[in-house]
This record gives sequence, structure tokens and C-alpha cells, in this order.
Amino acid sequence: MPSLKQIRTKINSVKGTRRIMSAMKLISAVKLQKVQGTLLSSRPYSHAMKEIAGSIALRCDPEWHPLLRDPEETKNIQLVFMTSDRGLCGSFNSNLIRKIETYMVTDAPRYENVSFRFIGRRGRDHFARSGVAVTDSVIGLNERNYGDVSGAVSKALVREYTGGRIDEAVLVYNYFKSALTQIITFERVLPIEPLEGASEQDGVYADYKYEPQRKELLDGVLPRYVEARVQRAVLETLTSEQASRMTAMDNATRNADSVISQLTLLFNKTRQANVTSELMDIVNGTESMKKGG
Amino acid sequence: MAEKLHLEIITPLELVLSEEVDEVVAPGEVGEFGILPGHIPFLSLLSPGELKYTSGGTETRLIVWGGLADIREDRVKVLVDGVERPEDIEPEEAKAELDKVSEEMKSFEGDSAGLKELQRRLRLAELRASAGA
Repeated sequence: MPSLKQIRTKINSVKGTRRIMSAMKLISAVKLQKVQGTLLSSRPYSHAMKEIAGSIALRCDPEWHPLLRDPEETKNIQLVFMTSDRGLCGSFNSNLIRKIETYMVTDAPRYENVSFRFIGRRGRDHFARSGVAVTDSVIGLNERNYGDVSGAVSKALVREYTGGRIDEAVLVYNYFKSALTQIITFERVLPIEPLEGASEQDGVYADYKYEPQRKELLDGVLPRYVEARVQRAVLETLTSEQASRMTAMDNATRNADSVISQLTLLFNKTRQANVTSELMDIVNGTESMKKGG
Repeated sequence: MAEKLHLEIITPLELVLSEEVDEVVAPGEVGEFGILPGHIPFLSLLSPGELKYTSGGTETRLIVWGGLADIREDRVKVLVDGVERPEDIEPEEAKAELDKVSEEMKSFEGDSAGLKELQRRLRLAELRASAGA
């Protein structure tokens, strides 16, 4: 049985850890609230952008713009894999990584080339020595620079797609459904999927009237579409990370509470046992003195 | 044919407006254009400028930062980088911004894409300065 001193030290150390975890939980909660607001109010833009791009893809000839290119065969696929930089956020990263490893076994062999673009240290480090083709990786994404990061990533995607180096671009990230639920999502950004369920009443998908000329207009619109999609996925990642961390830290705090109460119980029991045995000693001592005297 | 237009103004940061309106006038890249119910599918880039819409006889003016407009089946979607109400613009701040961009314009050295971006900013700054005044 551990000594009283040992137990007391243990309790104090657990209490210290608990304090840290509880602080992390509070920090995450504040950050979550902030980034969640940004995410929720930015969703309509991305959604509208997707619809417009889909509507363009439906009406336009793929020849008209390199971003409308519809490859007959998808040989080269690029996965934009979004994880967090830091850990202590529960299964946020590990679930994503597990999912993508399954994907590498089941789906990836269909393509000739699978390349990765990492956002976040965790994903990059996990695949560092696995021999996958890495095009680029971005570390240090946060709530302030997400606009720049998604701008750079989307420009790179556009460049590679129009240059014919990739035939498909897929974003892999945690979709933020609620603070308790995040859903791993594979989202195809390129090629642009034609809008489904559009009505045909204005002729068979009557072409748009464009201002300025079609080429310029598509140049203006389509890259914005890619950027809007990437930006939203990045925001989903940031939000999910904070939500995940908050939940994980909440659980950890609770666990620490139960450990502390168990240890306290043990401490009290041990102390009581010590008191009892000391009493026994005293009683025995006096008894024997009586007999002797 | 619907008699109203459904106007949505969306920025990357928020859904600014979603309303039934009678008419929309938007600052297209090649000139201002007006939209009434029953318009054919139309896609246009927008320059920084003034977007006006009329609803029940009252006209509302907004400063938009440039973006695009998608008109389909009496739905007008305006996706812009930013929107401001003229009354929300601080005149001094807008003036300072205009001076700053003008200075940059004078000392500009760079490619045509950079120049285009700067011209866009100048136009927006001018617009804000005159709206705020």
C-alpha cells in the first residue's frame, strides 16, 4: 500500500493536470465560438458559389475554359488533406488518418497517381515516411491567416488543374455538424460538377448571357469558386478542431475529477488504517505495561 | 412569370440580404445594368460600385466591392467581396484610404495584373469617399 505522502503527491499532480485541461477547455470554447460564427456566416457564400459554378458547368462547353475541362479518364488525383497542427483534440486527427489509410487501400489504386497536399502538421508528419507523393504542405493555419492560406492553396490547385497535372482535386476534412459531431468529408472540387435538378424551362439549359465576354467572365468566376470551396473547408477544419478539443478536454477534466475522488478515498482509507494501527499499538503498549506493572 | 425578384447579397463573411424586390440595378464590369422580373439567364462580373434595389417604391443603395452576379429564373444572386451602406462609411477614414491609394498609384511599379487590382482599389476608395461625404 502506498504511503500517505505518495498519495498526496499523486493527488496534487492530478489536480495540476486537471487545472491545465480545464483551462484548455475554456480556451477552446472561446475560440470555437468565434470561429464557428465565421464559419456559419460564410457557408451561404460557398454554397452560392458552388451553385453558380455548377450552373456554368451545366450550360458551358468544357472547351471554353481550362477549369471546365472534364477529363475522360481520371489518372492523377490530388487530395487536400486537412488536419490540425496540434494534438490534444481527441480523435480529430486519428479518425481522419484512419479514414484516408482505408481510402489508400480501397480507392486509391484506381488512379495512376495520388498526390497529397497537406494542411496541418499532424497529417504531414503521419505520412512523412510512408512514401506518398507530397506536392506541398502548409503548417501554421489559424483563425487569422485562413484567408491567405486558402487563397494560396486554391491558386495552386487551379494552376495544377489547368496545367493538366491533376485531373481531380478532392478536399478531405472534418465537416463541422455541431460541437459534438464532426463528419469526415471527401469533397470533389475539380472537375466542377454540373448542377443537378436545374429546371429546363428556359430552353434546354439556355446559355447565359455574359458580361463582359465569356472568357473574361469565366476567368473571373471559376477561380473564385475554387477559393470559396477551399476556404470553407479550411474554416470547417478550424472549427471542428476547436470543437473536438473542447469535447476532449471536457472528458479529460471529468476523468481527472473521478481519479481525484478515487485517490482521495484511498488517501482517507489509508490515513484511517494508519490511525487504527497506531491506536492498536498504544492500546497494546498500555496493556502490556499493566501486566508487567 | 413571377412578379418579384428574389435578391440575395452574399459576401464571404455573411449573408447580407435575402429579400423580395421589384428591381435591381447593379454595377457591371462593362456598365451598369438593370434587372427586372423575367430576365434571361445572365452572368456578370461586378465592379466596385453602387448597387440599387427597389422594393415597394423605396430605393436602397449599397456600396459593393466587386464580385459577380448570377441571374436565373428571377433569382438574383450577388456575390461580392464586401458590402457597405453609404451611411455607415466614416468620411475621414474613407478620405484617408483614398489618399493612401492615390499615393500608391503614383509610385506604382509592377505588372498589369497589379495595376488592375490597384485601379480597382482606387475606384472603390473614390466611391467610398464620395458616398461618405
